[in-house]
Amino acid sequence: MSAAGLERPQLVSHVQQALSYTLFDCKWVPRSARLLCLGSAARGTGLLQLYELRGGRLALLREIEKAKPIKCGTFGATSLQQRYLATGDFGGNLNIWNLEVPEIPVYSVKGHKEIINSIDGVGGLGIGEGAPEIVTGSRDGTVKVWDPRQKDTPVANMEPVQGESKRDCWTVTFGNAYNQEERVVCAGYDNGDIKLFDLKTMSLRWETNIKNGVCSLEFDRKDVNMNKLVATSLEGKFHVFDMRTQHPTKGFASVSEKAQKSTIWQVRHLPQNRDIFMTSGGAGSLHLWKYEYPAQRSKKDSEGAEMGVAGSVSLLQNVTLSTQPISSLDWSPDKKGLCVCGAFDQTVRVLIVTKLNKV
Amino acid sequence: MPVWLREYSWRQSGSAVYLSLPLRGVRVTPANIFCTDRYLKVSIPPFLFEAILYAPIDDTSSTAKIGNGIIFFTLYKKEVAMWDSLTLPNANKEKLQYLRENAVLKAHEKAKEEAEAKKVTKQEHKKHALEATMKLEEAERKRIEDLKEKERQKVTKELELWKKQQKDAEKQKRVQKEGELYQVEQLKEKKKEKINKTRIPNEGTSKTRLKPTKGCYGSYSMFSENLKEEQLPAPRSAATIRINFTSRVFPTALRESCVAEEEEWLRKQAEARRAISADLSELEDLKEEEKNPDWLKNKGNKMFATGNYLAAVNAYNLAVRLNNKLPLLYLNRAACHLKLRNLHKAIEDSSKALELLTPPVPDNENARVKAYVRRGTAFCQLELYTEGLQDYEAALKIDPKNKTIEKDAEKIRHLIQGTTQDS
Repeated sequence: MSAAGLERPQLVSHVQQALSYTLFDCKWVPRSARLLCLGSAARGTGLLQLYELRGGRLALLREIEKAKPIKCGTFGATSLQQRYLATGDFGGNLNIWNLEVPEIPVYSVKGHKEIINSIDGVGGLGIGEGAPEIVTGSRDGTVKVWDPRQKDTPVANMEPVQGESKRDCWTVTFGNAYNQEERVVCAGYDNGDIKLFDLKTMSLRWETNIKNGVCSLEFDRKDVNMNKLVATSLEGKFHVFDMRTQHPTKGFASVSEKAQKSTIWQVRHLPQNRDIFMTSGGAGSLHLWKYEYPAQRSKKDSEGAEMGVAGSVSLLQNVTLSTQPISSLDWSPDKKGLCVCGAFDQTVRVLIVTKLNKV
Repeated sequence: MPVWLREYSWRQSGSAVYLSLPLRGVRVTPANIFCTDRYLKVSIPPFLFEAILYAPIDDTSSTAKIGNGIIFFTLYKKEVAMWDSLTLPNANKEKLQYLRENAVLKAHEKAKEEAEAKKVTKQEHKKHALEATMKLEEAERKRIEDLKEKERQKVTKELELWKKQQKDAEKQKRVQKEGELYQVEQLKEKKKEKINKTRIPNEGTSKTRLKPTKGCYGSYSMFSENLKEEQLPAPRSAATIRINFTSRVFPTALRESCVAEEEEWLRKQAEARRAISADLSELEDLKEEEKNPDWLKNKGNKMFATGNYLAAVNAYNLAVRLNNKLPLLYLNRAACHLKLRNLHKAIEDSSKALELLTPPVPDNENARVKAYVRRGTAFCQLELYTEGLQDYEAALKIDPKNKTIEKDAEKIRHLIQGTTQDS
């Protein structure tokens, strides 16, 4: 290995913990060294485990079992003091739990007819402005936005037109929440559709199709004016869209990269640096990328309309941790470079990415 | 006959013999010199010099210097003694011969031994080199491992430190907040006496909502919640956005469909429509519409429906002449032939139709099922039941839910079993 190779960020495996159930999602509990693992036990019930990082190992603090397997969870819509967890499960139920008192959910609604594939929250954790809201995307093709203060009905519902055959929604994310009114939701579907909904005007702002099913979407920051959106898909491709300039017909400019032959399951931006993100792959690998902006972010096309210019993406480091897909990934918002990933080989791994300051 | 060289001169010391042999005009190479411990020979055809030495010498350390038309030998004696002469005095022919052969043998053996020794040393050298490289690589690997380990430890330490900091910070914050809360409560108490009821319902609702919160954070979360409540906008008014999904020619997602095959099928269809066979000379006197294969196909279908099979066949024939790439023409003509009991023609046409219906895609499922069924029927009517059954089973594979095909297949199976039992 050359000296230059050692100067790049290294993905150091810190702790590895074997679990006895299928892990679907793992999340850091904000402002702590604790992490949450969500999954499904062999007997078809849902499992929530709370671990704490102690020394070189993970110590199990709590284990909570629920009726239905849990697919996804987020802390995005709660305050830093409450730290309630919002989860979506296999039965289409959205629940918000207080982890101190997990017997009864703080908020519960049967939001969808089928499994909730993805969930995201905005407005909490001291990030951004506006009301805390949760968005869920489900296999029944609908995307619903919930406000924890309003029971039973969603505050926004994106569903297919009557008679249209539905497509599974695989991923949802919030963005553009820089003031109290503005907010967008971006949803990715299994046929490659990406749709951007503006919640202020309650309309479809932009849509495109990237041919392969969209596995994961994330804005680089939820609480600023839309800057970049990364969409990952099947067959190893991901696209980075520059969201600052929307052309009336061409939409947003993008650059795409084919990282590996397998599905890219997740993309997560580093909370401390929005130009660095990590993608996790179906072959058990993690790739760390850096986005470089172009010299000019927008230019005029032949008719004089503004169109965006996409930059370039470079690979900083990659590592293969497992033979099974790494289905969930989360950066710690408190410690730069600390991240947790969960794979289908029933292991949760805590990694540390070094030298991120020098990138 | 070699030319003997007899002009040589020699002198000796106690331990060595110095022999000089002049060779004018002849080129000497080391290969021409042959020496063992008792025998020395220099042979440069046609010249020859040989000497049976008086006493044994140490031939490995002896040297021969070639230069200036002269060879200068330095022969080290095995035993320190003075020689009477260079060569043995009375050497008869046989002895000479024997000595010569001996010398040659000895030389051979020595050469062999030397070769073996060389091999052994080479092996050892190789082994040594390998071990050295292995050690180097090992060292390199270890160095990298150590670096990684150091990184890991550094990072772990940092993590622990950070955790401690977090804990301390939390404790501090808690103490601070409790202090503040106490102060604020005191203020509130004072204010409450002055403020009217509008404040209380607000607090009341917030209190009931926050009942589920427990734990040490509960006390001051209420405090901050209160403030925030007044700043948060009301929940959005519910609205629905209706969406459409990207349409595709084939209703399956990219990963589900067999795109390549479907593309091929679409292309073939497009080509077929465009193909116009030759032979328009005879058809010039036909009307415009009669030159359109689709129109002819429809005409044929109509005649088939009315039962005029011969006319239908004619229509299809003409259509085929115009465009021989449309599978449906062959398919329909096969049906006509079946009705007319032209069984061989029916088989031909169904086969041609099936050929044109590759690649197999969901789009041309119906057509393929019909083709298989018609061919199967024709085979059965020709009493080729096994082939017929094959075709029916193929049709069943494409369309497993079709009951008539199933029934017919069963019938054929029984027939086959019946005939085999009889024969």
